[in-house]
Amino acid sequence: MRTFTFLGPNSASLSVNMDSSTTMANGVIVPTWNFEDANGNGFNEDRFAPSPVIECVEGQQVNVTLTSMRAHSIHFHGLDVDQDNDGVGSTSGYVAQSPTGGNLGRVDGYTNLGSPFTYTFVAPHAGTYMYHCHIDTVLHIEQGMYGTVIVRPPNGSINEAWTGGPTFEREHIWHLHTFDSTWHSEDISSATTNRYRPDYFMLNGSDGANAITDTTCAIEADAGTNVLVRVNNVGYQPALVELGGISFQIIASDGRPLPSALNVTQMLIAAGERYDILFTIPIGFDGLATISYKDIRNRNTLGTVQTKIKDTSDLIFTNGFE
Amino acid sequence: MKNNINKNSEFSVTRRNILKAGVASSALFSLAGLTVFSPRANAATVIYNFVAETYTKTLVDGSTTIDAWRFRDTDGNTGPGDLLASIIAQEGDTIIINLTNNLDTDIKFDIPGVLEGQPSLSTGSSTTFNFNAPSAGSYLFRENIVEEYSQALGLMGPMVIMPNNGTQSLYAGGPTFDQQYTLLINDFDDRMNADVASGVSYNLDNFEPNYYFVNGLSYPDTSTDPDTKVSMLLGEDVAIRFINGGLLTHSMHFHGYHVRVVSRNRIPETDIIDKDTVVINPGECVDIILPVVQVGKFPLHTHYIPAVTFNGAYVNPVGGALLILEAS
Repeated sequence: MRTFTFLGPNSASLSVNMDSSTTMANGVIVPTWNFEDANGNGFNEDRFAPSPVIECVEGQQVNVTLTSMRAHSIHFHGLDVDQDNDGVGSTSGYVAQSPTGGNLGRVDGYTNLGSPFTYTFVAPHAGTYMYHCHIDTVLHIEQGMYGTVIVRPPNGSINEAWTGGPTFEREHIWHLHTFDSTWHSEDISSATTNRYRPDYFMLNGSDGANAITDTTCAIEADAGTNVLVRVNNVGYQPALVELGGISFQIIASDGRPLPSALNVTQMLIAAGERYDILFTIPIGFDGLATISYKDIRNRNTLGTVQTKIKDTSDLIFTNGFE
Repeated sequence: MKNNINKNSEFSVTRRNILKAGVASSALFSLAGLTVFSPRANAATVIYNFVAETYTKTLVDGSTTIDAWRFRDTDGNTGPGDLLASIIAQEGDTIIINLTNNLDTDIKFDIPGVLEGQPSLSTGSSTTFNFNAPSAGSYLFRENIVEEYSQALGLMGPMVIMPNNGTQSLYAGGPTFDQQYTLLINDFDDRMNADVASGVSYNLDNFEPNYYFVNGLSYPDTSTDPDTKVSMLLGEDVAIRFINGGLLTHSMHFHGYHVRVVSRNRIPETDIIDKDTVVINPGECVDIILPVVQVGKFPLHTHYIPAVTFNGAYVNPVGGALLILEAS
C-alpha cells in the first residue's frame, strides 16, 4: 500500500512552481521552488516540496515532459540515462538564460523557455531513484526541486521490491532534506550562498511536531505489517536514521539489491544516496523514528526530525499482557 | 634519483598510446606516474625528494589567489593535476622519502596505515624515511602534527601501491582494470588560509570551506587535465582511486554509470558494492571499478553540492569538485 500520490506509470508532465512555500512547525513560511503536476501538487496533494513521485516499470520506455518559463532541467539521478537526457546544462545541451540574462548552459537546438522538453529513457533495475533540477544546482536543489523515481519490477508489482525480491505490505518514501532559510530569498547562487548552514530539518517537507504525525512519514500499522521505507537523501547533510530501536534490514541502495540484506538498528546515509529499508511493526510498539542531520565536517548533530512508528492493532491487549 | 619509475619513460607513454589511441598526443606527456604504471619484474628502491612549503595558488577563475601549503617533488615530478608530490611503487619495493621542511613550523610526516608516529621535523631541517612498500592499494600521505590542520591547508598527497604480479589490478587477485585514475579531493576555507599566512592560527571548529578541488583543480580545469578528466573507451573497466584529503564527507555521484566499490582503506567492501553515489569519508581511500557501459560525457561530482561551487557560485563559468567522464 502506497502512502503517497504518484505520476505514471512511465509518463509524467511537470512544470515548475517558483512561488511555492513550506510552512514550518514554528509558523515561519519558507519560500520554495518545486516541480509540480498538472494540478499544482508536489509530493502529495497537501504540499509543494518535495516534488511529485514518478513511477515507472523496469524495461519500459519512460517519457517525462518539463515545461518551464525559467531555466530549469531534470537530472534523473541514478537512472544512468544517456547524455542527451541527462539534464546537465554543460553536457546535455539543455538550456537557456539565467534570470540575469547570462547563459547558464549552451543552447544546441534544445528547448526554448516555455516550450516543453521531453526526456526519454528506459527504466533500469527496480528500485529507488532521485530526480532533481541540474541548473544552478546548488540553489535549485536546496529550494525544493527534487523528488523520487520508483522503478517497479517488470510485472508492475507494487508490493515486491524487485523480481524475486522481498515483499512488503506498506510503502513509504522518506525524503531527507534541510533548508538554510537565508538561501530562500536568493535567485541565483553567488557569494551569498557560499556557506550552507541549515536551520530546518525535515522529512517530506515536515519538521518538528508536524513530522511526528505527518501521514506520509508516520508509520502506523498493525503489528506484523511488513513496511518498506525508501530513504532518499535529497539534501546536503549526511544523516543517521534510527527507528526507535527497531531492528531493520537494508535491502538495497542506489537502485541495486545488496548482496545480502544487512540487519541494523541505525544507518548513515549521505547526500545523493538512497537506501531501501524493510522492517516489521513490533507488537505493542509506540515510539519515534529519529533522523539526525550531521555536520558535513565533524559529524556533530545539527538538528533532528522525528516521526511516529506505532502498532495500531490491539494485540497487546488480546494477547493478555494487560 | 628515482630508478625505473620515470613517468616520462618511453615504455609508459607507449602503453598509454595503446590504451588511448586517438587522444591528442600533447596530452600524453603530461600524464602522471599514478595514471600510467608499468609493472616491473624486479623490486626497486624508489626515491622521492620532497619539500614542505608555502605557495600562492591561483584559483580557477584566474584572478583569485590563496596562500596554501603543499608537498613538492624537487625532481620535478608532478601530478596528478595540480599536485606536485605523489608516490607510486609496487609491492616488494623499498620506498625512500627525503623530506625537507621549508615551512616556518614543525611538521610530522604521516601515512595512515604505513608510517605513523614519526618524530616531528623542525623548521628548516631534513630527514629520511625508509620503508617497505605496504600492501597494494591507495593511501593518503599528509602532515599531522595537529590532526587535519595541515590537510586543511593542502599539505597532503596520494600514494598508490601496485601489486607485483605483473597485472594491472587493484590488488593481487583483485579486480583488474584497463586504466586507472587517482582523484584526491580537498577543500579550502579562504579565511583559514589568510589567517595562517599572516601568522594567526585558525580554530578548525570554524572551518567551513568555500573552494573545492580534485587533484588541486576546480571545474572546468578538472575537465582538461589528462589525469583528472576520466577518458574511457566503451567496454573498459576503469579503476578510480578516491582519496579524501580534505575535511568534509563527500558522496561522489556518477552520472551515466553505476560503479563497483572494491575497497575502503584497502579493506574489501562486501556489503554495499553497487552504487551511483559513493561516500568518501575524510581521510578515506576508496577504490572503485567503473564498467564503461555507454558512451557520452557525464559529470562526476560530490553531492554535497555546495562543494561544486566556486565560493558559492555554481559552475558559471567556474566551479568546484566536479569533473567530466567521457567515454567514446
